[in-house]
Amino acid sequence: MLYRIEQRPEPSASMRIAAPIIATALTIAVGSAMFAGLGYDPVSTLQAFFITPISSLNGLSELLLKASPLILIACGLAVGFRANVWNIGAEGQLIIGAIAACGVGLFYPNPESPILLPLMFVAGAAAGMAWAAIPAFLRARLNTNEILVTLMMTYIATLFLSWLVHGPWRDPAGFNYPQTALLPAAAMFEPFDYAYRVNSSVFITVVAVVLMWLFTDRSFLGYKMKVSGAAPHAARYAGFRESSAVWTGLLAGGAAAGIAGMAEVAGPLGQLSPQISPGYGFAAIIVAFIGRLNAFGIVLGGLLMSLLFLGGETVQMNLGLSSSLTRIFQGILLFFLLATDFFIFYRFRRVPEHA
Amino acid sequence: MLNLSRRKFLQYTGAAGAALTTGGISGAARAQDPLKIGVVYVSPVAEIGWTKQHSLGVEAIKQEFGDKAAITVIDNIFMPQDAERVFRELAASGNQLIFGTSFSHGTPMQKVAPRFPKTAFEHCSGIVHLANLGTFEAKYYEGSYVAGASGAHMSKSNKIGFIGGFPIPDIVGPANALLLGAQSVKPDITCNAIFLNSWFDPGKEKEAANTLLSQGCDVICSMTDTATGVQVAGEGGAWSIGYASDMAKFGSGKQLTAFTLDWSADYLRAAKGVAEGNWKPEARWDGLAAGIVKMAPYNEGIPADVVAKLKQLETDVGSGKVHPYAGELKDQDGNVKVAAGSVLEDKDIRSMNWFVKGMIGKLG
Amino acid sequence: MIPRLELRNITKSYPGIVANDDISMSIMPGKIHAVLGENGAGKSTLMKIIYGVAQADSGEIWCDGKRIEAHNPASSRALGIEMVYQHFALFESVTVVENIALSVSSTFDLKTLARQITHLSNRYGMPIDPHRRVLDLSVGERQRVEIVRCLLQAPKLLILDEPTSVLAPQAVGKLFETLRQLAAEGCSIVYISHKLDEVQELCDSATVLRNGKVTGSAKPKETTSLELARMMVGSKLPEMRVVPSVPSARPVLEVRGLTSPARDKYGVALKNVSFEVHGGEIVGLAGVSGNGQADLIALLSGERRHADASVVRIDGKAAGHLNASERRGLGMAFVPEERLGRGAVPPHTLWENAVLTANRRGGLVRHGMVDRGKAAGFARDIIERFKVKANGPSSSAQSLSGGNLQKFIVGREIALKPKLFLVSQPTWGVDVGAAAFIRQNILDLSRAGSAVLVVSEELDELFEICDRLLVICQGQVSPPLIRTKTNREEVGLLMTGADRGNDIEERSEVAVQN
Repeated sequence: MLYRIEQRPEPSASMRIAAPIIATALTIAVGSAMFAGLGYDPVSTLQAFFITPISSLNGLSELLLKASPLILIACGLAVGFRANVWNIGAEGQLIIGAIAACGVGLFYPNPESPILLPLMFVAGAAAGMAWAAIPAFLRARLNTNEILVTLMMTYIATLFLSWLVHGPWRDPAGFNYPQTALLPAAAMFEPFDYAYRVNSSVFITVVAVVLMWLFTDRSFLGYKMKVSGAAPHAARYAGFRESSAVWTGLLAGGAAAGIAGMAEVAGPLGQLSPQISPGYGFAAIIVAFIGRLNAFGIVLGGLLMSLLFLGGETVQMNLGLSSSLTRIFQGILLFFLLATDFFIFYRFRRVPEHA
Repeated sequence: MLNLSRRKFLQYTGAAGAALTTGGISGAARAQDPLKIGVVYVSPVAEIGWTKQHSLGVEAIKQEFGDKAAITVIDNIFMPQDAERVFRELAASGNQLIFGTSFSHGTPMQKVAPRFPKTAFEHCSGIVHLANLGTFEAKYYEGSYVAGASGAHMSKSNKIGFIGGFPIPDIVGPANALLLGAQSVKPDITCNAIFLNSWFDPGKEKEAANTLLSQGCDVICSMTDTATGVQVAGEGGAWSIGYASDMAKFGSGKQLTAFTLDWSADYLRAAKGVAEGNWKPEARWDGLAAGIVKMAPYNEGIPADVVAKLKQLETDVGSGKVHPYAGELKDQDGNVKVAAGSVLEDKDIRSMNWFVKGMIGKLG
Repeated sequence: MIPRLELRNITKSYPGIVANDDISMSIMPGKIHAVLGENGAGKSTLMKIIYGVAQADSGEIWCDGKRIEAHNPASSRALGIEMVYQHFALFESVTVVENIALSVSSTFDLKTLARQITHLSNRYGMPIDPHRRVLDLSVGERQRVEIVRCLLQAPKLLILDEPTSVLAPQAVGKLFETLRQLAAEGCSIVYISHKLDEVQELCDSATVLRNGKVTGSAKPKETTSLELARMMVGSKLPEMRVVPSVPSARPVLEVRGLTSPARDKYGVALKNVSFEVHGGEIVGLAGVSGNGQADLIALLSGERRHADASVVRIDGKAAGHLNASERRGLGMAFVPEERLGRGAVPPHTLWENAVLTANRRGGLVRHGMVDRGKAAGFARDIIERFKVKANGPSSSAQSLSGGNLQKFIVGREIALKPKLFLVSQPTWGVDVGAAAFIRQNILDLSRAGSAVLVVSEELDELFEICDRLLVICQGQVSPPLIRTKTNREEVGLLMTGADRGNDIEERSEVAVQN
């Protein structure tokens, strides 16, 4: 009996819901087999992976802290992705946002000013947008490939950061080590409770999610971007400017990444060093797609990615699994999630024998 | 609505925070339990390299303590955001002694240590000390000085090549010492330096090594976390000097020596201190004499009389009879930085961000 | 006599639809057999099954008394079955002979092959130069390449899928000559079409399909068009109500000296195009496809803009520099020839597709936000008013059949009560019933005062609804012809460009159908 993959006439509504459940079941099955085969108890391993990390308030705080920038950036990127504007340089936009915010925090004349933090927010967002405006301009005017330009500009941002912390912004009291001085207290988000790290910057992410939902799902501008992505000829037919989709998509991603960079530097980091992002800008691309470019999907995707990360540490801490093994497990889950999504739009069909 | 839930949240978090802290204390109080130690590596343990040498310290504790120590190791933690969470988690789960092994662990440890005052923190390559945060560091420059001397003995082109991960004092200092050691043998020798801005980038490092070879360097020393420099030098027929681990097996028989790191003494001292209740935060900074820095076996191609001289130099540097940074030292532009008859002060060694005369290349 | 080809109880289903349901038919050697049906009746599927591109779920295919098993295009060609597709598969950048060489299975040398091509094409009265590049060929010439390619294989059965849809009337006559000659030599021909007049003129026998089922067999020459149409459509055909037009005093669309380079290498440069369309009248633009219609319509709709604003005026206002959305603001509406991907976004729902052009004039967007309820209501109105077969405003555009989607798009544009209505190929691939319905709506719109410009390659359609006709050929537009004072011959001559040498010979052979 032969099987063939074919497109469904309409995307399957039931598969939309079933896909993540099937993916989870498959991951648990394959993961259990893998853990058991390597001599670890699958039940306690899975528990350490998914339950233990969030069974304490500190764990929840860490989950939010880690998920917040991922969700924020993914929301911004998804605005562009929906219009086939491929900003994969959020990492660079995050770095530039962090640099701008930190610059304001370090050099604003009054380090105790209550407007310091809002100023840093504006600086981070503006810098991220400015960085993203370069590929937007090049794409809109010269039709360059924004995938390449955004990616290349990430390297520029990284080297610029490196130059700053090795040179002009190096902490004078830091034994010449490449990092800036710590930001003053007024330049830092205050944690809800000093026992935990999560801070009020998560509200920025909450607002961003709601805005993203309103924009993509309800606004006319968001509608136009969706059309540009799904059918560029239809967009031209309707008279929607392609360049406006390019600008909106890249600027939204740049702003979100820049704000995320600001929140990192004004939150868990407190200073700049040559490397400030654990790859949030790139991980957010995965989050956006796990979340199906939808605001609430992205929230779940971001929480899941963070949980996988924390879970990976927990199994290493509690059970001594090597970090490479946990990465394989994370890979399995992501693979199944994206693979089962395929069957929302496609299905297997039996092909008769005689064919 | 928002207010209420927020207040509640604060209440809960506060309570849980207190519980976590007391948990830490009670863990330390029970002496008959095994000593709980947490170690955070910056990368996975490989055959060679920085983390491998730290794992020697962990092994030493296991040897000494047996089942009287329970050690939790977390690897692959580099970013400060992640490191702070891991240190917090390790402290909260009752570890009495926690090691950080990367400079990037410094700021997170400084944030976490004050919240767990009963926990001892030890930070390798750190610069900040707190009531329960000690640091330990190696005098790499002692080893690189001796290695530089060996290179000068064998070099025909009188050009040494140096590859560094980042232009930080911990690397710039040893690079200078490498050349000063070489100049102690041949005063006119020079050293070309390249920084990768990465600890682990074999591709870039290979490119850098080939560049140095094409510039005529016939001895190459690479202070990164790979054996690429040693390997490329060997393949190109040049001598090499290993760092952190003995990399002889990668060098096509051309590794002159390596200045290796063995942190066992630091790990044992801290563990014993905590076990016996007399741990204090220290700023330990040891080299050849304490065995933290060790010279790997010298290449068989080095004449016996030279090896004897090098061994003598090891002893003299270790004892302080020979100080690598003894005056007169000039910088690249010829300005006198250390006058004849004096030596560079320790604090200036630890913040060295200038190249000595004869170094070719720029910082950063 | 053994049939050349016999189909027994062929059934083929696709998800959600039975494309062919228990179809049986047989074709004798040397006969021309029509497969007649509306779009979506299952004709193309059936041809794919005969040629082996698709496999039937059940049923048998017999060729010259032998059952065909393990069917694929290669085995079909081994049996002497060849197919000329509606859309050609030629490489444009290489020559005719090189294109044909690619599909010849035996070893060849280009010189011999070129001689063969010249010989065959002359013999069947459709000369082509084997050394010309396909890029430089007209659509009709390209079709000749496809046919010659098949003839080189000395086929026993030739399948032609809607071959006249790309041809000028003169070229159609020429093609029929060739086909008759082929049949006389013993080759069986399967001729797929939905055009009754052609089938009646050419074919010996016909099988009529509707909704995947055989609804009748006929000898077309002995059957009236009405009977054939009934078999195709299944019900009484609607009658067109044409009332006389009352053109407005001022033109709504004015095109003055529009000259523009081709938009890309597939486009056609426009040369000094001038015409006007008044309110209350329908002006038709006739022409063989690929003569600049696409370039002209893009410049009129605003998908392409012109540096000189005054070359296009809508309702008296210079509009050449405006984009599509801004021209809509002046009262324009436009139905493009591609439904999926241009006139509608395939994966989007119908209500979302309503927002595509009805965002402002339909009031579906307020304060920058899409009013979903209003959009759904708007879409529901169109579905009801234009009898669109759909599950409701939330069905996706791609789930609709071509004709229903076309009704939706035409309906959406008409519902905006445009002052100027541009419509390109309004009934392309739409079944007879829906086509009549769409034409009637276009007529009604015009009689209510709108200016309508219809671009179509089907002369019958233009003659049916237009008040005046323009003809485009090689980027030049003819002076207007009054429909009642012209005929198909005059239009056909203008379509082929009477000044072009290589087509003049065809003029004398045109069958005047009126």
